[in-house]
Amino acid sequence: MSRNDTAHDETAEESDASDRDDHRNPEVGDPAGEPAQPVDDDGSVSSGSVSRRSFLEGLGVASVLGIGGASATDDSLFEMDGLQTVGDPIGDYPYRDWEDLYREEWDWDSVSRSTHSVNCTGSCSWNVYVKNGQVWREEQAGDYPRFDESLPDPNPRGCQKGACYTDYVNADQRIKHPLKRVGERGEGKWKRISWDEALTEIAEHVVDEVQDGRYDAISGFTPIPAMSPVSFASGSRLINLLGGVSHSFYDWYSDLPPGQPITWGTQTDNAESADWYNADYIIAWGSNINVTRIPDAKYFLDAGYNGTKRVGVFTDYSQTAIHTDEWVSPEPGTDTALALGMAQTIVDEGLHDEAHLKEQTDMPLLVRQDTGKFLRASEVPAVNTDADRPEWMLLMADSDGQLREAPGSLGERDGQKDYSKSIELDFDPQLDAEQTVHTTDGSVRVRTVWNELRDELAQYDPETVHEETGVGTETYQRVAREFAEVDKAKIIQGKGVNDWYHNDLGNRAIQLLVTLTGNLGRQGTGLDHYVGQEKIWTFHGWKTLSFPTGKVRGVPTTLWTYYHAGILDNTDEDTAEKIRESIDKDWMPVYPEERSDGSRPDPSTMFVWRGNYFNQAKGNVAVEDELWPKLDLVVDINFRMDSTAMYSDIVLPTASHYEKHDLSMTDMHTYVHPFTPAVEPLGESKTDWQIFRELAAKIQEVATERGVEPIDDRKFDREIDLTTIYDDYVRDWASGEEDALAEDRAACEYILEHSEESNPADSDEQITFADTVEEPKRLLESGDHWTSDIEEGEAYTPWKDFVQDKNPWPTATGRQQYYIDHDWFLELGEQLPTHKEGPTNTGGDYPMEYNTPHGRWSIHSTWRDSEKLLRLQRGEPVVYLHPEDAAERGIEDGDTVEVFNDLAEVELQAKLYPSSQRGTARMYFAWERFQFPGDTDFNSLVPMYMKPTQLVQYPEDTGEHLYFFPNYWGPTGVNSDVRVDVRKQGGTNE
Amino acid sequence: MSTESDGNGESVDLAEGVDHQVAMVMDLNKCIGCQTCTVACKSLWTEGGGRDYMYWNNVETKPGEGYPRDWENSGGGWKSADHSERQPGEIPDQEDYGEAWEFNHKEIMYDGSDQPLRPNSDPEWGPNWDEDQGAGEYPNSYYFYLPRICNHCTHPSCVEACPRKAIYKREEDGIVLIDQERCRGYRYCVEGCPYKKVYYNATQKTSEKCIFCYPRLEGEGPEGETFAPACAEECPPQLRLVGFLDDEQGPIHKLVEEYEVALPLHPEYQTQPNVYYIPPFAPPQHSEDGETTGIDRIPRQYLEELFGERVHDALDTIEREREKVDRGGESELLDMLTDTNPARKYRMEVFDDG
Repeated sequence: MSRNDTAHDETAEESDASDRDDHRNPEVGDPAGEPAQPVDDDGSVSSGSVSRRSFLEGLGVASVLGIGGASATDDSLFEMDGLQTVGDPIGDYPYRDWEDLYREEWDWDSVSRSTHSVNCTGSCSWNVYVKNGQVWREEQAGDYPRFDESLPDPNPRGCQKGACYTDYVNADQRIKHPLKRVGERGEGKWKRISWDEALTEIAEHVVDEVQDGRYDAISGFTPIPAMSPVSFASGSRLINLLGGVSHSFYDWYSDLPPGQPITWGTQTDNAESADWYNADYIIAWGSNINVTRIPDAKYFLDAGYNGTKRVGVFTDYSQTAIHTDEWVSPEPGTDTALALGMAQTIVDEGLHDEAHLKEQTDMPLLVRQDTGKFLRASEVPAVNTDADRPEWMLLMADSDGQLREAPGSLGERDGQKDYSKSIELDFDPQLDAEQTVHTTDGSVRVRTVWNELRDELAQYDPETVHEETGVGTETYQRVAREFAEVDKAKIIQGKGVNDWYHNDLGNRAIQLLVTLTGNLGRQGTGLDHYVGQEKIWTFHGWKTLSFPTGKVRGVPTTLWTYYHAGILDNTDEDTAEKIRESIDKDWMPVYPEERSDGSRPDPSTMFVWRGNYFNQAKGNVAVEDELWPKLDLVVDINFRMDSTAMYSDIVLPTASHYEKHDLSMTDMHTYVHPFTPAVEPLGESKTDWQIFRELAAKIQEVATERGVEPIDDRKFDREIDLTTIYDDYVRDWASGEEDALAEDRAACEYILEHSEESNPADSDEQITFADTVEEPKRLLESGDHWTSDIEEGEAYTPWKDFVQDKNPWPTATGRQQYYIDHDWFLELGEQLPTHKEGPTNTGGDYPMEYNTPHGRWSIHSTWRDSEKLLRLQRGEPVVYLHPEDAAERGIEDGDTVEVFNDLAEVELQAKLYPSSQRGTARMYFAWERFQFPGDTDFNSLVPMYMKPTQLVQYPEDTGEHLYFFPNYWGPTGVNSDVRVDVRKQGGTNE
Repeated sequence: MSTESDGNGESVDLAEGVDHQVAMVMDLNKCIGCQTCTVACKSLWTEGGGRDYMYWNNVETKPGEGYPRDWENSGGGWKSADHSERQPGEIPDQEDYGEAWEFNHKEIMYDGSDQPLRPNSDPEWGPNWDEDQGAGEYPNSYYFYLPRICNHCTHPSCVEACPRKAIYKREEDGIVLIDQERCRGYRYCVEGCPYKKVYYNATQKTSEKCIFCYPRLEGEGPEGETFAPACAEECPPQLRLVGFLDDEQGPIHKLVEEYEVALPLHPEYQTQPNVYYIPPFAPPQHSEDGETTGIDRIPRQYLEELFGERVHDALDTIEREREKVDRGGESELLDMLTDTNPARKYRMEVFDDG
């Protein structure tokens, strides 16, 4: 009676005639068009009313019945009435019919392909199984097509959070109806209102604000387009039409590595994770891959069996350190010193790649010793230049000591990115040059950046580096040597090194290691920084869908928050002065704009969707006390009641990730795949696109009734016309077709159609939405936003445009730029990467470091409140403490403790962690505010502080290289230089 | 190394009466403790109906007390290799498993409660309570993750323990099942299993355990397709190989019988598990002045407690093969542990035609 007979009975239902070796997938469908909409107003919805719990209990009951009535009555060992005696039940058992019990549970009615809209960079395609009209479970679709058979299989992508998103669909947390706050913000007291009431109230308010010219007091906060670009665009599109403010997120979350725009003139560009396997040597530098990149960890783990050496740089013996070949453990905040020490070893021992440095970097450029500025062609009468802007033609000395213009300098380029010029050299510049030059200012001593760098590096001798970092001198020098000597070396840089105040210096120091060794622009090399999803593959389609007017009021969220939370002076005098100067010079914008009479209104209105701004805001105490009261109306659009929803005035119920159409992408891979609805939106919920579309309709209705006239935008050459805002919302601005973008799925198609990556201009090939439903599709090309092409059979690696094709880097010098001659950088002694102590006593004078890394059990705050996952933790927030730190304070594992500083005290459970270094209170972050007793959360202990070097424009007057652009350049919301202490609950503060 | 093989698994010790034996190899060097396997199993098999506290698949941090707490000291198994007498065992208390906590979401979010979100009890233990804790002290602390399912043993002591003979081993694949119609919930099997991988369901009054996802193996779904167990298929690093121990062409046979790098957990329990582990290696210890030393981080003695004496040879073999690959050589062994060949990692239909 072999059951395997059944297994072998493969039916010929294979609908997919692809040649892949893949029989694992059930048939996945996408219902045509939108799912039926729930009935408006009264909320009388037919389905979705059975809770998941009762649905499953139903199963339980069935199971009990399935095992027969005997269980209730016949429980005596010896009463085996009518039952045959079983001899030896090994291999011979007569009563196997009962096995159908579990077989019947392995059953479903339909399967849909979807994924999760969370900021994890996972972008994992899942099959969602539906049974009895309810979402039952999910399993990775496991059908990413392979593009390189020598690499590990890309399947399956997913993690434990994605594996239980189903629980959210019918969870207690789920928001099922529009709600209006009736208690205080945060109290959790609500009145159920109709959609019409909710939209009317919001629309009336918005029309008032715009009519009064306060459209720039309306903010929209939504992060990470790549995780669901249609949902991102839904509200952004409306805010854009209103003349409102779109918030940055990548810098605000301190995910942006400022060193990349500074040195590489690029927001960030990474290899897809499959490329890890191509490396001979990988340093995971503060990147806790095994916790924060679960779907990609395979490439790191498998590389260990492929001859790759894996080094981990972590302050604790982390969950990734355990699977490395060597672990290096610097003191917290000393990564920069370690990197510069390694750089010194490489340079000192002549292990650097000289050809790379000469052609690809600013190392041969000459620097004036009198001003610290680059020597420019405009300053040297002997240099004849054809360039339009000789003041940005920089100079090198060739092998004869003759001054030569550096090709590709900004002065001969048309803006930041100009591929009509080349950096290829027709002479051999000297790295080590020093001479006197006759300039318009007289004789000036100049020397190369290389020589300046060597002087800087000379400070990082082994003794100093060991003293500063605690890492053994032989160890770090050997690692540096090994890194320099292999063919292909790579650094994966993580959040752990990006949250420090001096993160720009840390980035630049670590970047220097790949530059010095020429590890850029080839497979298996580079510096990958996968923190947040800064951009999206289908860039153009997303951009024009989100911002149809093309005139975007973008704001650096860190500065906006800081400004309106009233903590501009929360720092030393010089820094406070520079922050104001940056605003005054328009280097960084703050909205609402200053009015002609010198006044500046407060922000009045905030829409938050796809994010949890209030919970995740650093400077949380100031945000709650100062910023939040300024907002007259906070609207949260959400499927679950998170902390921001709790602190909102109106909450609108949105479709879950299994109830809508959208797209998903990430820079961890080069595929695009969809969300499709497995079930209808629960209760009265609607998709984000539907909600903002209906709000646009309501605004148009109210404005038309009131006879509102169009107004001129204060800043841009356009009119804001509320009487056509719905028509504008649903019009395809590219084709001019009216009503074309009414539905989510049409918006998905719009993005794919208008993006180079999915619809290349020079090819007939095109990816449609239906294609992605069939299986994830590898993108066809990369558009302007990327620094390499996507090539068949190869993992994507960045920087080929510059390293292989010799196009100018998008920096002022046209090269990888380690020397920044901006006045502020010179003043602060940061023209080159250098190690500096962070700010002291941030949060007060306390003995412990406060560290809030990304954890295993949540994607930011999503899943923090998941019952299933909390059962696999301790059910409440915990802080990891070194056992001796705990013992000194009389704390035992499981005790309730208070983590405190001058700003706040936060109560949670102590967990002893022997793999921690002494002196760190480590709280894996993003617990929701309502998980702590008292009115505090993990961010209450964190002040905000901004670094002046991240508020600049460069060049100062024209800003082609560094200029505010949302998520490209702006101050990062750092949070690691915070001091705290810990005591048992009820203890006193010394 | 390997015994002579004649091509039909005769070198493999199968239970008498069993034609083939399903088996699983788990590579602990790829386990990242993400618990996707745990959640996959739970969502599929153990929600509601009295099963909520059960984790047929769990992942525990080692060294650690595990799930249920201190299971390694709870007895069970056989007294000796001749399987003639069972080692007495204990039935864990409910607190040692932990309860399936309920939470107060609704009260906080919609009813204006000023309490924090908390379990409905004041728990002191749970299925993953000592996650990441391990042993030793910074910078030379150590820990790793150990995923566990029912071992579907060749000499299952749970079968022997059951007075109703309601537990059996399937003829065609050696999967060990508890007959849910015949079982009366006496819990002798819970006591008798040294791995504590049988769970009592107080609602249904039966004992339940991992079924190796036999409906998936059999292709019992609506579309008739076969799947490996959910814990294996859903594992992000794909650290589990699934197949038959007696499939001599398969990686499991090679890893267990030829290379002898895949070892049973606690072989001294004498049940002869059919789940095997590639033992963990770790970066070496640090000296006081922060230098990398040549000293093993995970004490060999500890690994020996878990995997028996053969762990030394297994680790030496892996190290040797890794050095070979580092020098540019090829390694069949490491190739089998790398996820480059999806067709190879789950070989479940090899005997269908037999």
